[in-house]
Amino acid sequence: MMNLIPKTLARLFNKGPKPDPSNAEELRLNFKSRYHHFKLLLNANNRCLEEMAEMEQALKGDKTFGMSFVRTCCTAISVNVLTMINNMEHLSPGKYPDLGPRFDAIRRELDRLLHPKARVQEERLVIPFDKINQEMANVVGGKMAKLGEIKNQLEINVPQGFVITATAYERFIHLNDLQDEIDTITQASGADDLKKLDIISAQIQQKIITASMLDGLETAVNENWNLLEQNVNRPLQLAIRSSALCEDSLDSSFAGQYRSELNVDQENFAQVYKEVVASKYSVQAMTYRLNKGFRDEDIAMCIGCMEMIDAVAGGVIYTRNPVNADDDSVFINSAWGLPKLVVDGSDAFDLLAVSRNQPFTITQRDIGEKTIRYRCSQGDGIEKVPVPEAHRTTPSIDDPTALTLARISLAIEEYYTIPQDIEWALSLEGRLYILQCRPLQQKKRTMPAPDLPGLAPPLLSGGITASPGTATGPVYRAIRDADILWFPENAILLVDQARPRWAPLLNRAAGIISEHGGFAGHLANVAREFSVPAIMNIQGALETLEPGDVITMDADTCSVYKGEQPAILAKEQPPRPSPMKQSTVFKLLEQACDLIVPLNLMDPDATEFRPGACKTFHDITRFIHERSVHAMFNFGTNNNFPEHSSKQLHYHVPLNWWILNLDDGFSATVTGPYVRLNTIASHPMLAFWEGFILVPWDGPPPVDGRGLMSVMFRSTMNPSLVPGVRSKYADKNYFMISRHYCSLNSRLGYHFSTMEALVSGRASEDYINFQFKGGAADYDRRIKRVLFIKEILETYDFTVTVREDTLTARMEGQGTEVLKTRLMILGYLSLHTRQIDMIMSNSRRVRFYREKIGNDIDERIIKPHFNKEEEHHG
Amino acid sequence: MKVLLVDDEEQFRTAVAKQLSVRGHTVHGAGTGEAGLAMAKAISPDVVLLDMRLPGMNGTATLKEMKRVSPLTEIIMLTGHATVKAAMEAINMGAFDYMTKPMGINELIYKMEDAYKKKRLAKQQIKVATTPVNNR
Repeated sequence: MMNLIPKTLARLFNKGPKPDPSNAEELRLNFKSRYHHFKLLLNANNRCLEEMAEMEQALKGDKTFGMSFVRTCCTAISVNVLTMINNMEHLSPGKYPDLGPRFDAIRRELDRLLHPKARVQEERLVIPFDKINQEMANVVGGKMAKLGEIKNQLEINVPQGFVITATAYERFIHLNDLQDEIDTITQASGADDLKKLDIISAQIQQKIITASMLDGLETAVNENWNLLEQNVNRPLQLAIRSSALCEDSLDSSFAGQYRSELNVDQENFAQVYKEVVASKYSVQAMTYRLNKGFRDEDIAMCIGCMEMIDAVAGGVIYTRNPVNADDDSVFINSAWGLPKLVVDGSDAFDLLAVSRNQPFTITQRDIGEKTIRYRCSQGDGIEKVPVPEAHRTTPSIDDPTALTLARISLAIEEYYTIPQDIEWALSLEGRLYILQCRPLQQKKRTMPAPDLPGLAPPLLSGGITASPGTATGPVYRAIRDADILWFPENAILLVDQARPRWAPLLNRAAGIISEHGGFAGHLANVAREFSVPAIMNIQGALETLEPGDVITMDADTCSVYKGEQPAILAKEQPPRPSPMKQSTVFKLLEQACDLIVPLNLMDPDATEFRPGACKTFHDITRFIHERSVHAMFNFGTNNNFPEHSSKQLHYHVPLNWWILNLDDGFSATVTGPYVRLNTIASHPMLAFWEGFILVPWDGPPPVDGRGLMSVMFRSTMNPSLVPGVRSKYADKNYFMISRHYCSLNSRLGYHFSTMEALVSGRASEDYINFQFKGGAADYDRRIKRVLFIKEILETYDFTVTVREDTLTARMEGQGTEVLKTRLMILGYLSLHTRQIDMIMSNSRRVRFYREKIGNDIDERIIKPHFNKEEEHHG
Repeated sequence: MKVLLVDDEEQFRTAVAKQLSVRGHTVHGAGTGEAGLAMAKAISPDVVLLDMRLPGMNGTATLKEMKRVSPLTEIIMLTGHATVKAAMEAINMGAFDYMTKPMGINELIYKMEDAYKKKRLAKQQIKVATTPVNNR
């Protein structure tokens, strides 16, 4: 741009015939309208840059976001790029026909990314277990696909049943036009705002529960249900279990995040189906998906319907120790009654460890005091009942049953070749059933700390390591569901029972302490996934630990200490994963950014600076921005319209500064060739100018020998750079101004800079953009200079990037007063950093100039504008 | 500014109308696309705020019809659920902008002011261009 503007300027001064006065009004109006389109274009450009910055920020990985964030960013950028193209068309009709096709091509790529992937074609709404295998995970969900596989391939006993497919789910959602509504509701909520999530979760679940049932689904379910009853020749109640797509993978178990309904009567099926589908939008499931970066549309809720086994005992088997990768024992967790008690961590249960080598032997036997059990109610549902006194401390399974369970589990582990987490039940008739199995993630055990002299004894010890590691933070006691809404970041969650409902806090909690539960519960499972240290089943925790008190917990030794204990925290920690970075949504954002953010069109003078060469949206915006400035400059000239041709700035004497008034940048009509400073009404230009003349320049810094040699060498290569030689590149500076806007293209000495600022009082739209490049010294010193300027600008809150010897600085979202002082700083730097590249290899001189500049800015610019010493944000 | 707000959510209409009214704008509301069209014909609004998702005649169809009847009307589309495809369709049909709910009231007002100014300038240009030179 800077090379083209002088040519434009030369034309501006060509004296041609004055326009016909009858056309003057039309021209004036036309100019006004063009300026408005230019402003709309700049606004859109600004929005694009803001959205790009937000996307790049999200890619740093510390922000939790869902698909609505990705969609909203992509849509906003697409809209604004198209707005820029449309406004460019107003400024230069028909001049850039390739912009539209380039935009469309990139947008189609974006569409392809954002469009949910096509599902496997499957017409069946219901599929019996006999027909299910592992390959059908995308039709019946991972949980049921695995159950079908072990039934049909390993011939392991599982309850008889059938699955309601992903096809049924999609048709149900489509029939009720729910997806659009769900997307609309979720978009309104911030990803990590649990209070809002609580409200929208209730709204969405309500919509699903009151939706119409899918035609044909009830009939298909009834047919399959009746077939099951015919097989056993009696009425059957079923367990209705969620089996969502993407569930039960090694890294993402979704343990306990969705709803399952036990002992359901056929009459109530339709309602229960909708309730289980609705549980896809429970607070914990939505939080889990957000934290793990799953796309909502990728997760269809399939549902397993299986014969309800009213168990005499049940529980969970881990085929290896989840918190110690070196321990290969098989762990059988067992409780009286239904296995639910083990996974929801609400009471004590038994733990038997079995060695995996033949002959299997029981190597550990912890018999818990089991006070309650779950059983099937007479009608629908299940109930909690007390365990008779005599059975409380007796083992819930005998040794042969334990050994049979170990054998079955190891067969499953061998088949899948990785450790397994298996839910089982022993029926009243004495038959063993496998109800669910999923991969088990093992954690490397962190070593217990050596004896630490001087460490006070722990406040508490005992319990079970549910997830290894150490943590410190204030105690937060949660009792009711609503307590999660006020959970402070990095506190230690203290609960009575290790229920899955606390899972939404795992992204915020430093650690978990629970009076009940074990390492086999859903909460423990998810705590390990998020690498949050957890101690379960630690007695007296609720009584001993005071809410708000800072404690340190060591989950490896199951100890809790008063205060922050650096010696304990210094132990090697299991790495805390960033689930977002591995997730589908994150990868999608990365791919979308690749189409949007990279800037390839750097040099406006290069032959590749053309619409057809735009590879990204950023290239398009860069191209348009550059050309729109030209289009505005050219208009007055092309129409030979003196009112809108440039004037030379007269400040004591005529200066090499030319000003083009875009709209209301002059306070009075300027008829002659000069404009005086007191006629200029552009706030941003005046602020820049104030900084420029604030402290007189004391001439170029004394050049050291190496600096001078460098200039001599470059000058011989490029004669136009020799000082004193008049060339079209000699010092000239061009402002385009209106009352609230100014755009500066400047060449001072050997460096180019451009500055653009909108200071209208609309804080959300106002901005400053500054670009700086070049210099006379060698490359190394030029780089040092941009880094020198970068450091200064960053001190005053600019966002600065440096690419080779080009510096780009940006500021937005600030009030008028802050922007004004920043423009003054840019004005000041434009004068005082000229030729400073010459001394960049002399560190003593560099320090001197850094101090002088910092002092000038603070004393002469910042202090007079703010009462306090420095208020970067006004 | 005379603003027509077409949105089926009464609560949203009331909230926006209240915020715009206290800033001196006159707001007329309509709950359906059909009612919005009738209202637009009756009051000739300066700016229309039009929700994409409406019962009956949807936002896109309403936009198309409004632009057909009165091409200079500036319409800002509002959506609860942003999609690139719908946004492109709206802009290509002549919508001034496409905003995602919830939006800040200042952001909305800036957008309305910009849209209104565009309309005013276009009207003035047409007037000057169609006035015989000796009558100017």
